[in-house]
Amino acid sequence: MRRIFKIYKPFTHAGVMLAAQYRVNFIFFILGDVLMCFINYFLWKAVFSSGGAQTFMGFSETDMVSYIFISFLTSTLAYSDGSYAVGEEIKDGSIAMRMIKPIRFDLAFLFQELGERTMSISIVFLPLMVGVEIFRFVVTGAVQFNIFRFLLYLLSLVLAYLINFYVNVCYGYSAFVLKNLWGSNLLKNIIIGFLSGATIPLAFLPPVLSAVLNFLPFASLTYTPVMIYIGMYGPVQILTSFGLQIVWLIFFIFLQQVIWNACVKRLSVQGG
Amino acid sequence: MTGSCLSVAFDAIPRVTHMLTKEMIQLIYVNKLKKDFKKTIKEPGLKGSLKSFVKPKTEIITAVNEIDFHVPKGEILGFIGPNGAGKSTVIKMLTGILTPTSGSCEINGKVPYKNRKSYVREIGVVFGQRTQLWWDLALRETYTVLKEIYEVDDKSFKERMAFLNEVLELDEFITSPVRTLSLGQRMRADIAASLLHSPKVLFLDEPTIGLDVVVKDNIRKAVKTINENEQTTVILTTHDLQDVENLCDRIVMIDKGSKIFDGEIAELKRKFGQSREMKFVPADFSALDKLDYEGEFHLKDAVEVENDGHNVSVRFDSDRISVEKMLNYTLSKLHVKDINVSDADIEEIIKGIYRSEVKVDA
Ligand SMILES: Nc1ncnc2c1ncn2[C@@H]1O[C@H](COP(=O)(O)OP(=O)(O)OP(=O)(O)O)[C@@H](O)[C@H]1O
Ligand SMILES: [Mg+2]
Repeated sequence: MRRIFKIYKPFTHAGVMLAAQYRVNFIFFILGDVLMCFINYFLWKAVFSSGGAQTFMGFSETDMVSYIFISFLTSTLAYSDGSYAVGEEIKDGSIAMRMIKPIRFDLAFLFQELGERTMSISIVFLPLMVGVEIFRFVVTGAVQFNIFRFLLYLLSLVLAYLINFYVNVCYGYSAFVLKNLWGSNLLKNIIIGFLSGATIPLAFLPPVLSAVLNFLPFASLTYTPVMIYIGMYGPVQILTSFGLQIVWLIFFIFLQQVIWNACVKRLSVQGG
Repeated sequence: MTGSCLSVAFDAIPRVTHMLTKEMIQLIYVNKLKKDFKKTIKEPGLKGSLKSFVKPKTEIITAVNEIDFHVPKGEILGFIGPNGAGKSTVIKMLTGILTPTSGSCEINGKVPYKNRKSYVREIGVVFGQRTQLWWDLALRETYTVLKEIYEVDDKSFKERMAFLNEVLELDEFITSPVRTLSLGQRMRADIAASLLHSPKVLFLDEPTIGLDVVVKDNIRKAVKTINENEQTTVILTTHDLQDVENLCDRIVMIDKGSKIFDGEIAELKRKFGQSREMKFVPADFSALDKLDYEGEFHLKDAVEVENDGHNVSVRFDSDRISVEKMLNYTLSKLHVKDINVSDADIEEIIKGIYRSEVKVDA
């Protein structure tokens, strides 16, 4: 483990440097997202005040607000751009420079992305969490923050990120097949965003669909950690969803290897 | 009588064993190696792109066509051929980046595209057109990273860096970020990176492209030194024939994906060296019109005349036109201030082969 960190640490460093080049872009991106988040908030506020009901499909107004902000937080933190990085390297052939080194691509990309993400984590994490907690305190008049639940959330978040990363790597390798990745990448992000509960809670969807999505890897990407954080899951549900997350993670790590092995024969590194 | 017999026998034994071992210790085996690329043909216009989206038209390009060669341990092999011959494609297959369409290669007992991770530990690779260094890291840090990746211990790392510093003169830019390096600096840095872990085989794809004479010389010296000190086997591609003449024990020449020559440089010269160059300074340049080599010798395309305003050079094949006839005819037509005939150098020979003036039977 120590060795792995020693070898792949420089990739993290490279990622930090890369992110630093785009920090202005990044800040505008985040501002746009936060704005969307508030629009979402006012929308739901209107739904609750017009309906007159205390709860909506098991969610109180406070739950809903927490959900909106925490799901935003979660999907931002668990976001992976792996498919883009991998796809670009395959297209322009720079993957060749990784292939001539005795390293694992997935780990190299992973550590690089972790480096790129450090900034977004530091910018987004604290303000949003503190904001949500203050809101919950003001509305309910009691401290809702629970350190134990928070730690479970962090664990689930890390798993969500890793699944997301490997899904993206699988997708990136398909750059062999789908030569133009950008268009489909955007579409993929929107679809996954919806199916993983980043847009609305999966509980609001028709029960059958919601059950299917809960079982499929989608819920593991955003929904599970959020539900844990806002305390909607009991101990049994938490345990089963952790189990599911781990199963999906292993599945995608395995799948990624299979896809790579199948694709590498078709790799055509141009130039030189 | 018996004494001389004995000495002959004694002489013969070591030579035979030497040849045998040389035959047996081949480090690189390449057998009928072939690579096809599938290329989609884009048709023009909107209709065309729609059509190629639905049912793309593809064309197969054979970049490398059943090439065979072996390389013994410790040899420096020059891999040459015109642009687009397939050199880089071969290097990519030998370094495990591309999987051959058919045929096989084995290096140091390993198949590059099968045991990639363990295989690349034992090789060093430099692609002149690409860098393997981390763009954003200072060069020194890049080497520390590579040290970890290749698990080089502290002591060997120190010695290695000192040695590489000396031959490649890295000191002046070792603290700069890679992206600020000049091409020549970057190339030296890349070569050092490929040698850090003392590879058994070194692959260099155009390592001297775009470099000045001093840096080229530096790089050649480094390769030579490593090869001599550590018996590192080197395969290099280049368009600079100085590299070939200074470094290579042997050359393999390919054209349009096929091997057209495999042997020592001396052999190439012997085999294809009949082309000669006659240089002269005419007393009166307007008299040049009187020269009609094609008419005189009844040969088409056998003679090539170049006039730069000071010298006139005439290239011809001494198998077809003897030097004597050439001189006699030229001198009978005009007065010259100076004249000489020389062997074409390796550059001329290769130019000839690339232009397919010279028939090759490999
Ligand atoms: N990825 C690819 N897809 C399609 N065709 C390719 C690809 N890579 C190479 N080719 C084609 O294969 C042939 C050989 O290319 P290669 O790069 O091996 O040549 P080369 O000998 O290295 O040339 P140069 O001296 O110009 O570098 C060329 O015709 C090239 O267009
Ligand atoms: Mg090339």
